[in-house]
Amino acid sequence: MIELTKTGIDGLDSILNGGIVKNSTTLVSGNPGAGKSILGLQYIYNGVDMFDEKGIYLSFEENAQDLREAAESIGLDKWPEYVENGDILVYDKKELLRENDFSSSLDLLLDDFEDSEYERLVLDSLAMFNLFFDDEKERRTYLLKFADILKQNGLTTLMTNEQGGVMPKTDIGLENYLTDGNIYLLQTPTESGVNRYVWVAKMRKQNIETDIFPMEISWGGITVHENASDFSMMNDSESPIK
Amino acid sequence: MASVGLLRTLGNKYSAEILDATDEPQSAQDLSEELDIPIATCYRRIDELTDHGLLELHDSILSDDRRRIKVYRRNVESVTVEFDESMSIDVEERSEVTNKLDEAWRTLSEG
Repeated sequence: MIELTKTGIDGLDSILNGGIVKNSTTLVSGNPGAGKSILGLQYIYNGVDMFDEKGIYLSFEENAQDLREAAESIGLDKWPEYVENGDILVYDKKELLRENDFSSSLDLLLDDFEDSEYERLVLDSLAMFNLFFDDEKERRTYLLKFADILKQNGLTTLMTNEQGGVMPKTDIGLENYLTDGNIYLLQTPTESGVNRYVWVAKMRKQNIETDIFPMEISWGGITVHENASDFSMMNDSESPIK
Repeated sequence: MASVGLLRTLGNKYSAEILDATDEPQSAQDLSEELDIPIATCYRRIDELTDHGLLELHDSILSDDRRRIKVYRRNVESVTVEFDESMSIDVEERSEVTNKLDEAWRTLSEG
């Protein structure tokens, strides 16, 4: 029986057939603004709020205040409280890049990973993490080692990745193959705003719904609509991927 | 600043080639075969380079016939010598990030 970690995000767990495989590493890809960080914030927040699982949020992109504001802006009201009492451990860009060097923070992180209290981790983003390595071969080796370290320490991880296209032939990075799961967040502009979609392209050991599902970001966070036919955008002719 | 002894070690026959080849961990046997170095010389060079912190014992891996084999990896990115005012020899070590991840990962596989 495979153990699952629920995201607690409306609709997402059900297209994942229950949740994310425990102790796996999943890549969340999408353009800027597609909702990657929000998905990460909610995953960590829901862990504490709904499942009594503590989480670590690593951000190379934002500082702690930005994160808190982003969380509060979608109604994750208790974010500051959870951070305050240690249920959510935040390492922001200021902390991670102190002395312009990731290696001193890495010591602290590795210690925290061993602390069995934590079960969830978000790394935002993989692009920044990759900068610490010299070439593609090194990136590949250390991404695998890093994922191994997370897995062995019982952390179920989401890593975000700026990756625009969803056309598999043109824009699939190595990291997509190295991680256990791939979730893409897509957005297409419309006259009235944007339409958003989520596509779970891969989830090792899991039977998933591989269709593309519409999603919304609103107060309360992300909602994935399982019934795609409700949305006219999902007609074949207008589907964002072909 | 590193010592002149380091330069002497670096100047010995095969030393530079060994450092060049140990970007990824290699055993003495591998190096001897790959670089065509007599095995006894190879061991001696490895000891000298390790003593000066240029090379490090990376791991003891298990061979196919279940023997422990020591593999070595270079510990430096570059060595710079300047004669401008007083002579200085600077050793730039490999990225600590990769070293720390290696270390943590090695601990896992042992555990």
